[in-house]
Formats: sequence, C-alpha cells, structure tokens
Amino acid sequence: MIASGCTAGAERFGSYLKLATLATFLIPIVGFSAFAQENSVVSADSVAVATVAPVTSLVVEDYRYDDGENLALTWVPSIDDQPVGGKVVGYEIFQITDSGEPEKIADVLPGVSSFLATGLHAGASYRFYVTARAETSSAPSVISAALTPHREWINWGLWNLMLTALVVGGSVMFFIETARRGHELFVRKIAGLEAVDEAIGRATEMGRPILYIPGIQDMDDVQTLASLTILGRVAEHAATYDIRIRMPVSRSLVMTAARETIKAAYQAAGRPDAYNEDMVNYVTDEQFGYVAAVDGIMVRERPATVFLLGAFFAESLILAETGNSVGAIQIAGTARPAQLPFFIAACDFTLIGEELFAASAYLSGEPKSLGSLKGQDVGKGVAMVAIVLGVVAATLYALTGAAWLQAFGDWLVAMFTIAS
Amino acid sequence: MRREIPLGITIFVGFLAIVSFFSPPLEGLGEDFTLFFDIIAVFAFFLGGGNLVRLHLTKLLKKKRDWGFSVVTLVGFFFMLAAGLFKIGNPGDISASVTAQGSLFATLYYNVHLPLSSTMYALLAFFVASASYRAFRAKNREATVLLLAAFVILLGSTPFGQLLTNWMPGGIDILEIPNLAVWVMSSPNLAGQRAIMIGIGLGVVSMSLRLILGIERTYLGEDRG
Amino acid sequence: MDHLGLWIAGFLTLGIYSFLYRDNPWYKLSESIFIGVSAGYWVVTEFWQNFVGKFWDQKGDDPWLWIGAVLGLMMLMRLFPKIGWISRWPLAFVVGATSGFWMMNYLTTNCMAQVQATIIPLLGLGYEASAVMIFSNIVLVVGTFCGVAYFFFSKAHTGVFGATARVGVWTIMVTFGAMFALTIMNRMSLLIGRTSFIFGEWLGLIR
Repeated sequence: MIASGCTAGAERFGSYLKLATLATFLIPIVGFSAFAQENSVVSADSVAVATVAPVTSLVVEDYRYDDGENLALTWVPSIDDQPVGGKVVGYEIFQITDSGEPEKIADVLPGVSSFLATGLHAGASYRFYVTARAETSSAPSVISAALTPHREWINWGLWNLMLTALVVGGSVMFFIETARRGHELFVRKIAGLEAVDEAIGRATEMGRPILYIPGIQDMDDVQTLASLTILGRVAEHAATYDIRIRMPVSRSLVMTAARETIKAAYQAAGRPDAYNEDMVNYVTDEQFGYVAAVDGIMVRERPATVFLLGAFFAESLILAETGNSVGAIQIAGTARPAQLPFFIAACDFTLIGEELFAASAYLSGEPKSLGSLKGQDVGKGVAMVAIVLGVVAATLYALTGAAWLQAFGDWLVAMFTIAS
Repeated sequence: MRREIPLGITIFVGFLAIVSFFSPPLEGLGEDFTLFFDIIAVFAFFLGGGNLVRLHLTKLLKKKRDWGFSVVTLVGFFFMLAAGLFKIGNPGDISASVTAQGSLFATLYYNVHLPLSSTMYALLAFFVASASYRAFRAKNREATVLLLAAFVILLGSTPFGQLLTNWMPGGIDILEIPNLAVWVMSSPNLAGQRAIMIGIGLGVVSMSLRLILGIERTYLGEDRG
Repeated sequence: MDHLGLWIAGFLTLGIYSFLYRDNPWYKLSESIFIGVSAGYWVVTEFWQNFVGKFWDQKGDDPWLWIGAVLGLMMLMRLFPKIGWISRWPLAFVVGATSGFWMMNYLTTNCMAQVQATIIPLLGLGYEASAVMIFSNIVLVVGTFCGVAYFFFSKAHTGVFGATARVGVWTIMVTFGAMFALTIMNRMSLLIGRTSFIFGEWLGLIR
C-alpha cells in the first residue's frame, strides 16, 4: 500500500512547492512595491505621481509703505531644490482673487524663496500658492490664507529723510524769518558775485552788449531756474545803465520765462520803454547747433561781458574759450563738476556749485534771501558734525570693539541711509 | 490776480511735489508731472519755432547784415520740418517711424545734422589745448595743485607714465604713476566731489524753498517783493 | 552713406573747422544750415515723440494728460497780448514741480548719500588696513570735511577756519585737475574720430 502513502506525501510536497513558488514570486513583488512606494518610483501610470517635494511655510505679508498694490511672499524652498543634483527647475507663483480662478503671475528660478506680487488693488482679497516644478512633475504648496493689501498714506520708512528735510528746510525758513525781523546776517564775500557790478560797468564803458547764456537745459533743471533768478538781478543793473542784453536760448520755455524776467527787471528799474522782447531769441534745441550760433554772436558782436550760468555739458569749453578769445570779461557758474575746470581755466570768475544757487540771494541783498543762505550753512554744519562723529565712532570701535560705539555708528549711518 | 494765481500754483504744486516723496499714493505724481512738462514743451515749440522764423524773416525782409544766411536757415528749417512732419520719402506710410532708413528726414539727419554735430564736438580737442595752456601756467598754489593732479592722471593713463616709475620698489609702489593716478581718483578727487555735491544739494534745497515760498518770483514777471 | 551725402558732410565739416582760423562765410553757411536743420529736426522729433506718442495716442487711456495739453494751450496765449498773462500759469506749474521734486532728489542723493558714504572707519574694516589705506581714508574724510567748510557763507575765511577752507580749496582743485585730465583724453579721441572721417571715409587717403 505504498501508493497511498506516496500520494499523501506527494500532495504535501506539492503544497509545499506551490507555497514556495508563490512565496518566490510574491516576496519580491511586495518588497519591490514597498521599495517603489518609499522612493516614489514611478508606477505604470507614471505622470500622475508627484516626484518633487512642494515648498513649505508659505507666508504672505502686506508690503509696508506702499499704495496697497504689493504683497510680499516668502517660503521655504522644496527639499528637492539643491544646487547640485536637485530636481527643482523653478517655481511658479499663482494668485487667486475673488473670482476663484488661479492665475499664474510669475516664474522664478530655483533657490529663490521670496517674491513681491505687484499691481494689486488695495482692499481686494488675494490668496497665493507656489508650485515647485521638476522636469516632468510639479507640486503645489498649500494655498495661503486670504490677505488684503493695505494702503499707507505716509511712508514712515523715510523718517530720516523727513527729519533731514525738516531740519534743513526749517533752518532756511527760520533764518528767513529772522532776517525779515531785522537781524543783521553776515555773509562772506564771493569774488565772482562781487565782480558782477564791475562786469556790467565794463559793458557800459565799452558800449557793447552783455551776452547772457542760461545753459542748455530746459525749465525742468534747477540750474536753469537758478540762472533765471540771477538774470533778474543782472537785467535790472543793465536796465539802470542802459546796456543791451543779448540772450540766445536753446529752449522755447526758457525763452518765455527769460522774457518775463527781463521785462519785470526793466519795469523795476523804471525803464519799461527800453525793454525789447528780441533781447531773448530762440536758436535751436540742438546742443552744438546752439553753440555754433553763440560762437558766431560772440565773434561778430563782441560782447563786453559774458555770463555763462546754468547747466552745461561738453560745450562749456567751446563757449568759454571763444568768449575769452574776444576779450570779454566772463562770469561762469554751473553745478556740474565736470565742466567747472574749463570755466576756471577760461573765465575770469567762476561760481562753484552751491555758489550758483546762492548767487541770486547774494546779489539781491534782501534780508529774506540772505537768511536762506544761513539756513544752507546749518545743513552743512549738520553734515560736518555727522561725518566727524561717525568716523570717530567707527574708528574707535575698530580699536576697542565697544558695542555701544558700533551701535552709535550704525545709528548715525542709518540716519543718512535712504530705505529703498 | 494775474500774479497771485501763478504764485499760488507754484506754492501748491511745489508742496505737492515734496509731499509726494513721502506719500505712496502720490508717488506717481513725479512721472505725471514729467509727462505734463513734455507736453507743455511741445506747445512751447510753436513759440520758439515761430520766433526763429520771425527773426530770420525780419532780417531777410529788411536786408540786414548777413540776410543771405537767414535764407539758408529758413530753407533748412522748413525743409527738415516738411521732411519730418509729412514723412517725405518714407518707405512706410505716415504711420511709419519718422527716422526710417531711406526717408528724406533720415538722409538729412545722417548727411547734414550728424556730421555738423560731430565736428562741433571734435572742436573741443583744439579748445582743450588752449584751455590747458591757460590752466597749466600755475600762477598760484591752487593752480599748481590742479596742474599736478591733471598731470598725474594724464600720465597714469599712458605707457609713458608706467615707464617713468616702474623702477619703484614694492614697498612704495603706490608712488608709481599709474597707481598714484588710481589713488588720486579714489581719495582726494572723491573727497572734492563729495564736498561739491553736498554743497550743491543744500543750495538746491535753499533755492527751491525760495521759489516755492514765493521769495523769488522774477520768472513770473513780478516786481521785487 | 551715399557719395553726394559724403561730400556734403565733408564740406560742412571743413566749414566748421574753418572757425578755428577766424569767422568767415564758409563757417556762417555751415552754421546757418546747422541751425535751420537742427531746429527742424527737434520740432519734428518732439512732435512725433511727445505730442503724438505721449499725448495724442494716449489721451483715451489716460484723461489726466489733458491737464498737460490745457497748460500747453495756455502757453500759446502769449501770442495774444491781451490774454498773454495766462501763459504764466504753465510757467508757474513747471517752476513749482521742478523745485519740489529736485529739492528732495538732491537732498537724498547729493547730501545724505554722500555723508553716509563718508562715514568710514579710518583704520579700515576689521582693523586690517594697510598704511596706504589708512592714509587714503584720512585724506577722504578730511578732504570732504574741509571742502564742505570752504562753502560756508556765514563765516569769513580767516584763522583756523580759513586754514580749513584752504585745505578744502586744494582738495577741490585736485578734483578739477582730475576732471580736466579725463576730459582731455576724451576730447582727443573725438578729434581722432573726425580726422579719420575726413582722411579715411571722405578723401580715402587712409585705409
């Protein structure tokens, strides 16, 4: 009866064999799947599975001191965002408004962890999310909570500029008021301005005109405005001594303003009949076309006195040299440092930078105007004191390492640093 | 009223411009005002161009000295005006760019305007020689300082400057002219520039306040206040 | 550049250069052409760029631009003596805007930024300065301080203050010398450019 025993044994062996076979196949399959899941290995339907980690800790904040048009986003970059071997190729920023539809507003590079959303509307509500992008997949972050950008009416971030403007502007107005009340204010002599009377007198003696060049810029340049304020004083003197003024200009608006200025000056001097609007004529807006014309006027009409006051560029040298060659006494002034050396070389008197803006006040001699010069000096004093204190603090800190010196020096630097 | 209203406009607009620096909703005013200025300047061209034409026509009609050249100026002006406003010879139609290649306007610009402008610019080289002669006569200490600084910078930019002082030992190589030139630009030159700029900034503040507060008002045809 | 244009350019170039000798009809002719053509050029450019480009084409999208146009029309009232006083209004607007904007602009960039940049440790950051750097820093700070002192209006340049102002003047003269030298080099390169045009492009003597 060996067959029955063999059959039972064979059946048991067969069962064991089936179990072993099953195990041989199942174990790798299960293990492989587990391994695949742990490593996000792409399954048969590969595109649907996220293979890049999303950004985290997305924070949206109101951007300070704006017109309610900005919100600042910051986030922690994806863990797959690595400089070497990283999967992230960039981030996409999405914005959701009240309509509910997400709209992509920007693409940023890997490694970036902040973004400024602009063009928003104050009072409207916005939500954002950031999607990390890999070659073939992406992962959005959690959507931020709704936030409304606020409008600030005053940019308190510029507190230091406000303070400086108040100090300087306040000083100017204080001394204007002081002068108006009759206090004597000392102002040192400025050679170039002391010579204006002499220069005009020379034109009277020689019977030749005064040539006044207000620079080549338009009325939107402060130097042109400064020149026109000086023109008023010069024109009044010229009217008194019956000297012809010749004023070619390169801007139409300047022509208009100059005519008003000279007309008023002649009226103030009691010589309205002597005013002729052709004293001022437009030439051309072209820089060197204007210079060619002025050079021609200089060599043909040979003015006794030339005023070169205002904004000049490369043509300053040509004008000054030509004026020098015709023997005119020249008084020049500009706030462009690059042109000053040529005026110094070729002109008899040069107003350096600030002196151009002070000239009108100086020439008028009016207390209110002279008071403004004192206010300027307060500003200079503040600058000088700040430089000395700041340098001493920074230097002593480098020597001693005292924390309070560093704090003081940093505070001083912050006082003069404009927040962007 | 003919003077008070303009003065009021200056004061209002001036203060608005200052306040706009500190108020975010008003920050765009600067750009708007610049646009307005550009538009005003275009209208002012009628006055300037008209003045140019009137001046030269008067010279022509009254046969004043050099009236023939006034004819040239007027012809050049109107020719260029017509070429540009009507886009004569422009490959495209009236909507094409005024400076399109092949247009009469572009031809006049490249063959007349540009060479004249470049040549006037190049005159500077001749004038700089005479200015240098005058500047470098060193009549006083200040002129001597200016002369020395200019020489160092000039020589420092040439191989000759390198040749003159390249024998300097390592410890004092700052005295080699090219190195000295760099030092002059980065230290005393920078100091002077900053001092001038600080002065200019304060001068502009003071003058601007005088204009805004109405202390200076000559441009309005005001009598002395 | 076509052949005729080349000759016109060459002729006008030499006309301008003739001014170096003396005023003469050739220069006057070149000058007259230059004034006429350049004035026409700028009128055309401003018309298409500013009037058409910035106002006419944009007026539908930005009605505020009409303010500029109205101010511009006021400017033209100068042509009518009885109402010419209206032209002061746009002038007043321009002066007010220019003064206000540039005041704050210059205060920021010219004053505050320059003071901030001058506040430096004389011995260098991290106390690692060489002798040259220390000397440079001292020159920078002292030069700026003295230069600002030079521009003081309220005090006469006498005594200690006068000596300070004198150092300031010397510092400023170094600046001017440096500017002068840099400009000389630039102008020489312009001359080389025009000379190469005359002898190269025009006359073909230089290849």
